[in-house]
Amino acid sequence: MKEKTIIRFSILIFWTFFWGLSVLDKIIPDVHNLWVGKDFFALFVKFFGSLGLKDPIFPTIALAFVSALEVVNFVFYLLSIVNFSKSKNDLAEKWFFRAVFSSITLFSLFSIADQVFGDRFQLLEHGLFWLILIASWVLYKYISDSDEKLLSLGFSKDVKIAVAIGTIITVVTSLSIMDFSKRTFTNVNSPVKGEEVVDGVYKFDFPFLADKLVWEKTINTFKKDHPNLNINYIYTGPSELNSKKKTHMLLYVFTEKK
Amino acid sequence: MMTIFNGKNKISTNQLIRYSILVYWSLFWLLNIVDKIIGGSLFLWVGRDRFAQFQRFFASAGLESPLIADFALVIAAGLEVFAFVFFTGSLIHFFKKSVESSRSWFLIGICFTLITFTIFSIGDHVFGDRFELLEHTLFWFLALFSWVVFIRLDRSQATEELKISKRQFMGASIVAVMLVMATSVSIFNYNDNFFFRRTEPVVAEKVGENIYKVSFPFLGGSTVFEKTIEKFKNENPDKKIDHIYTVPNELRLKKADALIFYIVTEDKE
Repeated sequence: MKEKTIIRFSILIFWTFFWGLSVLDKIIPDVHNLWVGKDFFALFVKFFGSLGLKDPIFPTIALAFVSALEVVNFVFYLLSIVNFSKSKNDLAEKWFFRAVFSSITLFSLFSIADQVFGDRFQLLEHGLFWLILIASWVLYKYISDSDEKLLSLGFSKDVKIAVAIGTIITVVTSLSIMDFSKRTFTNVNSPVKGEEVVDGVYKFDFPFLADKLVWEKTINTFKKDHPNLNINYIYTGPSELNSKKKTHMLLYVFTEKK
Repeated sequence: MMTIFNGKNKISTNQLIRYSILVYWSLFWLLNIVDKIIGGSLFLWVGRDRFAQFQRFFASAGLESPLIADFALVIAAGLEVFAFVFFTGSLIHFFKKSVESSRSWFLIGICFTLITFTIFSIGDHVFGDRFELLEHTLFWFLALFSWVVFIRLDRSQATEELKISKRQFMGASIVAVMLVMATSVSIFNYNDNFFFRRTEPVVAEKVGENIYKVSFPFLGGSTVFEKTIEKFKNENPDKKIDHIYTVPNELRLKKADALIFYIVTEDKE
């Protein structure tokens, strides 16, 4: 197989999935089993609300327009990859250009909107996607024009050694992952043990797996273990206190004797 | 051929950049694998709890069994391991001047990398994590770009020389040594004079009736917080802490303010 074919196929696969899943995210607007996605409708409602356009018709029309452009993008990428898999390289390149051009147009529109709505982080995000799309086109073209080399890697002795080493490391890593999962999965459901750091003040280091259920269990267990204490106040430690990144969340419980 | 020095060292700048690319990706995946083998935090290694991250992602999509997170993590680890093995193989071949083999091994490493980041990006869409989508797309692009630079430098025949004259070399060394000394003195001086901020309690300033302000230094962490509360309680035995209000980022003066919180109290009965 030619090296350029591998690279061009990788580019087409990435962007086809990217736009296909973006379209799917618009079709499935809410959180469902096996799909979380992003609530773009809520995002658009907030953006237009901040402009003073509180009627939901504005975000609805804007989202429908954006989705239509994304569908067009996806169809162009799909046609490009279909032609590419049929070895119709000229057609694939033509569709890929259309796809890239419509994608950068969409990201340009997003960037304009980010400026209007004052969202600088999204402006950076969309600017980077815009750049990567243009660069993808340049790389696609560059490889197609200049590189006809064949991938020359048979199943030689050193490849066999590499596969063996890779398999051994994968097995070791997998065993380690499963062992870690076995040791820490109980954190999903176990109360956190508190430590009295100041007279009447208890600190709880919540692990990364903990969620609201762990919080409830922790407080109920604490109350059960300390029947002589009243909880006055619960303080969630801000991220500045948690400088080591070893803990998911810090919680302080302020108590007094009954 | 462009060279760094005109003397005995004949390694070209193109070769150095290609070495850098191979070393970067080999180390990138090696450390990702080590992170997965270690799992949690240890002495001298914090890393990232990928199991917790995967478990939370899948749980948010209704798949709460740890086996699913385990399986996904094993697949990701397998791809990363083979990317590492092929990049390292490419590096070894390159070191042995077997340039053609190095190129083929590098391409396989790039393919594993592109597959990994494509799968991660699909996951980011499914789990609705737009920040990670941007991160993975950037890494996907870096892998692609690395490949093009690698093969481009293979063909490129630069002719200009990067000769550094002795006078320039000496001048640069003197300036560098002076700057290193100035920076080091400043850093050690700051450490001597201000490290106490990492451990010492902060004074709570009374700003209103039963309201006290605590302005944290940038070095402050949970130890400073706990000691501050202890000191406050000892100094105000007739006061009871009603609640603590953390000033949100929006009310702080950009980066000039570190954490600020107010202790709201009431008189003890």
